[in-house]
Amino acid sequence: MLSRPPSSRTLRSFRVNGLDDVELAQAAARAGLALRVDELRRIAAQLGRDPTIVEVHAFDAQWSEHCSYKSSRHHLRKLPTEGPTVMQGPAEDAGILHLGEWNGERYGVVIAHESHNHPSQVVPYEGAATGVGGIVRDVLCMGAEVIALADPLRFGRVEDSQSHARYVAQGAVDGISAYGNAIGVPNIAGDVYFDERFDDNCLVNVVALGILKENEIIHSAAPPGAAGWDIVLVGKATDRSGFGGAAFSSVTLDEADEEANKGAVQVPDPFLKNVIMRATYAVFRFLRENNVTAGFKDLGAGGIMGCTAELCSSGGYGAIVDLDDVNTAVDDLPPEVIAVGETQERLCWILPGEVTAAVLSIYNQEFSLPAIAHRACATVIGAVQNEKRYVLRFGSEIVMDVPIDLLTGTIRDELPVRPMSERKVTDPARRYVVASESVPTLLPKVFSHRDVCSREPLYVRYDGVVRGTTVIPRGHSGAGVIAPVPGCPLGVALGVAGNPRFGKVDPFLAAQYAVLCAVQKVAAVGARPLGLTDCLNFGNPQNIGHYSEFVHAIDGLSIAARALGTPYVSGNVSLYNESSAGNAIPASPIVACAGALDDVAAVVTGGFKRPGSALFLVGAPQNAAGGAVFAELLDQTGGPLPPIDFEAVNAELAFLRAAADARLILAARAIGEGGVLAATCMMAFGSMEQFAIGAQLTDPQDWTGGVVGELEAYFGEWGGFVVETAQPDVLQRIAGKGVRLTQIGRTLAERSLRLHDAWFDLRDLAVAWRSPLAQVYP
Amino acid sequence: MIPKVAVVVFPGTNSETETVRICRDVGLDAQALHWTHASRIPEFDAYVLPGGFAYEDRIRAGAVPAHDPLMDYVIDAAERGKLILGICNGAQILLEAGLVPGTGAVRRPTAAFTYNGPVPHFVCRHVYLKLAVDPQRSPITAALPADALFPAWAAHGQGRLAASDEHLREIEQGAHLAFVYAHADGRVDDAAVPNASALRCAGLVNRQGNVLAIMPHPERDAWNYNHPDRRESEDMLAPSGGVRIFAAFAKALFST
Repeated sequence: MLSRPPSSRTLRSFRVNGLDDVELAQAAARAGLALRVDELRRIAAQLGRDPTIVEVHAFDAQWSEHCSYKSSRHHLRKLPTEGPTVMQGPAEDAGILHLGEWNGERYGVVIAHESHNHPSQVVPYEGAATGVGGIVRDVLCMGAEVIALADPLRFGRVEDSQSHARYVAQGAVDGISAYGNAIGVPNIAGDVYFDERFDDNCLVNVVALGILKENEIIHSAAPPGAAGWDIVLVGKATDRSGFGGAAFSSVTLDEADEEANKGAVQVPDPFLKNVIMRATYAVFRFLRENNVTAGFKDLGAGGIMGCTAELCSSGGYGAIVDLDDVNTAVDDLPPEVIAVGETQERLCWILPGEVTAAVLSIYNQEFSLPAIAHRACATVIGAVQNEKRYVLRFGSEIVMDVPIDLLTGTIRDELPVRPMSERKVTDPARRYVVASESVPTLLPKVFSHRDVCSREPLYVRYDGVVRGTTVIPRGHSGAGVIAPVPGCPLGVALGVAGNPRFGKVDPFLAAQYAVLCAVQKVAAVGARPLGLTDCLNFGNPQNIGHYSEFVHAIDGLSIAARALGTPYVSGNVSLYNESSAGNAIPASPIVACAGALDDVAAVVTGGFKRPGSALFLVGAPQNAAGGAVFAELLDQTGGPLPPIDFEAVNAELAFLRAAADARLILAARAIGEGGVLAATCMMAFGSMEQFAIGAQLTDPQDWTGGVVGELEAYFGEWGGFVVETAQPDVLQRIAGKGVRLTQIGRTLAERSLRLHDAWFDLRDLAVAWRSPLAQVYP
Repeated sequence: MIPKVAVVVFPGTNSETETVRICRDVGLDAQALHWTHASRIPEFDAYVLPGGFAYEDRIRAGAVPAHDPLMDYVIDAAERGKLILGICNGAQILLEAGLVPGTGAVRRPTAAFTYNGPVPHFVCRHVYLKLAVDPQRSPITAALPADALFPAWAAHGQGRLAASDEHLREIEQGAHLAFVYAHADGRVDDAAVPNASALRCAGLVNRQGNVLAIMPHPERDAWNYNHPDRRESEDMLAPSGGVRIFAAFAKALFST
């Protein structure tokens, strides 16, 4: 164990005391700090002296919005985080949901959600790839095997082949593809939207899932009795990349700083990560076989300092780390870069000394990390200590010595919020859309709309089937499904949602729709929704309008999740998605839902199975068409977002589950962009090559009693499901009160879509649907 | 005696788990053998080189691992007539090592699986493989019917067979073209090929027949639930078509 030498404080300090506010703000800007003047004064006051250069960079990272959630944490408390499915709530790097039992073991699904928006806007390939890398480590460090990925993406206008938005849209997808494919984790779900308000700020969110048994959970904290234990750093040699990354994510992007911003982006190494993951699985096995409890955490924002400080402080300890013992890629790194730089592909163990040598040997000999990448290794860099201080040594000096709780404790920014404007009750009979086009002219336009058309040109670049566990790959339903445990019938479903066109209309209701749609996608495959993870992407919180959108969206997320009984077990906040010109993204609460299939053999896929079977609509068409694709195509606002009747939704979700368990459903799809007609045709496209099944729908007047307009019924985005069944009578019998179940047609033994007054060749529609994104992703 | 199979893992391999699993499912004593245990290679009766990105596809997929000292043992085993199956990246390595089609010298490849066409990006797509040689051409395929058709997943960025006209002729004339891409109904045409591979090639076999390289992944369509074209009546947990190539591989090993 290291001892603390007497410190003569001869270090370079960052001068706070004696400077006026203007001078201090200038000094902070010169040093590249995001800390505000009041925060710098608070640090100096708490320490009783000027901070050292290393200390000020450490606080800059820890007190950034990215790490501290200082303007979001108190609002996030409103989200429901408890329930019978929760194995691990949102206190650690990832949450865990109870999947089910098999062979006497309780299995958990680990889920985490992260954004890598700013880096992806600046250097899309590396930015998006490191987003995948980071979220994979969050799941891995819970003790889990990483089993699936999903990627909600929001890009700007990609029509112009020379635009930066197109470069971002292509580079980000290539980065996700390269990273996810190389580490061997299947990408099973995701979505993508295109809007001019993402021109200056793309969103690259990534969701990862892991699997473990309950007794295999490893916590991101130094375990009880850990005083004196080793702090072991694993992975890539620390370099200059990613210095200032946490702070960079916590300011708005400014084109003038483009070169400086690039330096804050980390460099991915999926090849090294592939080996580190496999070595770490071997370490898990070793620790389990020897009944060793350890602490484990990935290095993200704040680098070595952020990770070791949080590991030790959450166990109630302090830490001393010797920066000279860190494996660095070059020899002349300054201590603040070693301490807070965000070099990728690193993890940190808290290990009892007696097992350290064996763990180092697994990484360094058995998996030969030093031979895989330049100076990569596992090495002891410090020790847990009882005294609750965070101490960094470099050379012969102490370069940082602060109370650990000051560094990792909660800080809070109170920012002004506007109250939500009063909402009027929507009159269900009121028409908001003027039917200025006929269905035959509108239908191909809806299908080739950038937010409706096939995503295959994009996701075909992702390995969706590595690991051999994929049950529903992308494109076959709204949610992906895997059977993660060999031989075990338990299945895991994953769906993501968050419609930015809804976000523009009404952040509060858009957030509710994000929850509803993610849950419905999971329910459509016959799975039981277990819980949620959210990523909240918004503009600058210092702008009252954008901050209010954020706060109202949290209210919406909370209401919907409580109503549907799906708690949040992890999440992420990404603010400052705004360029210096003040262009902010639409309110973008993005939600992922994990679901369980007790018997994966009961899974429901999205493609039609049988000609002559009945098609049902579950849910009720509505006139309100705010944010709907067809309204946009008609150059109309569409009015407000359709209100949600959660009581009816719950009855419908329960009905769907019962029908799926009774094997009454041949195929199902959640209704999303493009409405009933898009959902129906996607079900036909899903099996067109093999089975050539089409659909005939009745007059929508008959579904709605004439209350809802034809376009709204066909194309409205009010939720619900289209369901194929061969047993319509049984299905109707088990639908209890409150389930809005309407037969809308039947399947045909031909490649056609027949409406009451029109006929379409499905092959023509398929061309309209499949071609647009192939321009962007050739 | 249950045949012992090494699933050979290089740094960057990513499909060892499912490959070990399917080998065990067909009755073989399979285990993953890491690069740090290369000297144990001679202990095994047969070898499977699984998918992934060994040495991160540096230079060209398979090029660097083909020169790894570990491959000295595999090349030696191939020359002794042991059975070797390469899948995806494993297939790329076998080509780069010159073992398949084996019309040149060791480590002097005469053909390669290289960047997909027409656009060189990674493709993950469900495909079918059709046996294009007499099943008896290789012990590994001997238990299969003529024209056997398997479901599989193509998942690669570099799966297009490329070779000079002269070497392509050698492949055809020497009956090295073991598998071609096909549709579900067995039709073979360019639309069935996910990567513009020459000769619509999905798999190659060496002269002696003991080394087989397959570009798509039959082990990822091993169970009906892996299979996107499944019909409603199928038992989702029952083996799917992809397992048949491994069953044939196991049968060959049990009968030697």
